[in-house]
Amino acid sequence: METDPRQLDTRVKVVTPENIAFQYHVAGPFRRLPAYLIDLAIRVGICLAALFGLSIVFSLAGLGNVGQGLWCVLFFLLAWFYGGVFETFWNGQTPGKRMMRIRVLSVEGQAINASQAVLRNILRAVDSLPGFYLLGLISASMNDRFQRLGDLACGTMVVSEEPHWLRGVAKVNEPEVLRLTARIPAWFQPNRSLARALAVYVGRRANFTPSRRIQIARYLGVPLRERLGLPQRTHLDYLLCALYNRAFVTDEVPESGAPDAAGTVTAQRVEGDPPLPAAVGSVTDQRGDS
Amino acid sequence: MKVSDLLEARREKWQALEQLCARLESRGRRRLDAPMVTRFASLYRSACADLALADAYQLPQETIRYLHQLVGRAHNQLYRSRLFKISTWAHQLLVEVPQRLFQDKALRLAFFIFWGVFLLSGMLSYARPDFAQRVVGKKMLTIVEARYAQPANRDNPAFCGGRMGFYIANNAGIGLRCFAMGLLFGVGGLLTTLHNAAILGGIFGHMATTAQSENFFRFVTAHGPYELTAVVMAAGAGMRLGFSLLDTQGQTRIASLRRAASEAMPTMGAFLVLFVLAALIEAYISPSSLPYAVKAGVSIFSVATLVFYFVLLGYPRDDGAVGRAMSPRGGRPPDASVDKPRPEKETAQKSSMQEGRRAIG
Repeated sequence: METDPRQLDTRVKVVTPENIAFQYHVAGPFRRLPAYLIDLAIRVGICLAALFGLSIVFSLAGLGNVGQGLWCVLFFLLAWFYGGVFETFWNGQTPGKRMMRIRVLSVEGQAINASQAVLRNILRAVDSLPGFYLLGLISASMNDRFQRLGDLACGTMVVSEEPHWLRGVAKVNEPEVLRLTARIPAWFQPNRSLARALAVYVGRRANFTPSRRIQIARYLGVPLRERLGLPQRTHLDYLLCALYNRAFVTDEVPESGAPDAAGTVTAQRVEGDPPLPAAVGSVTDQRGDS
Repeated sequence: MKVSDLLEARREKWQALEQLCARLESRGRRRLDAPMVTRFASLYRSACADLALADAYQLPQETIRYLHQLVGRAHNQLYRSRLFKISTWAHQLLVEVPQRLFQDKALRLAFFIFWGVFLLSGMLSYARPDFAQRVVGKKMLTIVEARYAQPANRDNPAFCGGRMGFYIANNAGIGLRCFAMGLLFGVGGLLTTLHNAAILGGIFGHMATTAQSENFFRFVTAHGPYELTAVVMAAGAGMRLGFSLLDTQGQTRIASLRRAASEAMPTMGAFLVLFVLAALIEAYISPSSLPYAVKAGVSIFSVATLVFYFVLLGYPRDDGAVGRAMSPRGGRPPDASVDKPRPEKETAQKSSMQEGRRAIG
């Protein structure tokens, strides 16, 4: 895994054994603090509950000291090994981390092993010096993966597992747009960078007022309007949406042959097989013919 | 094919993978039967392939982010954390740790600093009464004096069990703290060691001047060797961490620290075992009314096991392979016989491709 030195945000790239690179967001102090506080609360809660429980049980049995001893051991284990044991058996997570959707991974992006989990939690004793995790914060602010000293020593990092919900392609169903889509010449096919720009625009246009949309759409819309030979009064916002529709959503409205053919290609593909880039290519060719 | 069609075609698979991930996260892999595991793996591979081709497919940014997250989530379920292996632990504790510690300069330094300061502080407090008061503090001295006012006569096992818990928690906590402090370029560990040695030496020296000296020394005889050795080991292991930042042996500082940290882990296990043994003796033998000869015998026995561990097991061997074959299973010292019991079944599982590749199921 390499971190791009030019990269200013908190993404870390991980290459899997399948030779796929995917990204993680490193979790900063403000994600980790609540997790820590939750874990602290759990530990204090268990300690208090055990204090009551053990003292009642053992004083009834007349063995008050054994209860005290057990409680001391419990306290010791919770103070030093709570995080380590949870991160070992819960795959890099403690209850607090699970609630905050963060996870400890090795800097290579692999799951951590038991000794990393235990040691990084024992070295908390240093990170929390001289108070309020000051050393840990200083260390985290001095590297690009927010690693505290314990993380540096064990080669671990904390990543956030933000859930992203699968949404379909944004659809623009305004009737003017659909009408305009049909009028775009069939020979025009947005290239990749244009398609990406269109997708970004359509994804954000809901946040803008109509006049602002036109102001933004002008930069791309005016040259495209010239090129496609569309009339001067073509609405620029709708034009971009129509091009977006062409690129991402549908082919010509009247024709239905091409998408069907593509659909069967997908359906026949065996699950687990790598998708065939040729399918995309061939469909593009068909489209070029039509 | 348009992106929207592609997404519709893929949606089902991605969501199936998501559901399997959720099941794995909540219930663990043992609840997933074999066909499901195969399906999970194939869905994961196809999601990986989709992510790889996301750019060629011109997927929207939102979907790419979703795929990154989905692949990451499945990746974390597929390649899980490795657990402790008791078999390797025994080998490390009995063969590698003593070999390493025998030549560990940080441990020698910790040893000499601890005992040097301990003896110095002890002699000074013995010679000059106000020295111990300044170093240890009057309050602490009064507490210690009061504790040893009576000769040892605690034979109640329940009481001893309670004390044992306290000793484990307190002493091992001190040891772990001392170990962790070593990370600060060794300085933290040095200071903690100096502090511990000065305080302990002060108490020993002071107690020798008081009327309770006999009670005190009879109390500390039995568990002293294990406990003080464990303190020194903790300090030495911590300093090894810290010095690895200074003397990197040609590696980057972080890489050097990581290597030292992975080496320090088994040592940590060893000194924790010593602390537990010391607590056991301190709770059950030291305060008991057993004759002093028995306590002295325990002390001699523990010194003998320590010598066996550090010198006989630690003495450099010519051939690592021979040493491994001859690893003393039968005659292992009691201080290394306590392994951390870990409830796990998977240890026997052979890792599939490499150590790190631990496929589910």
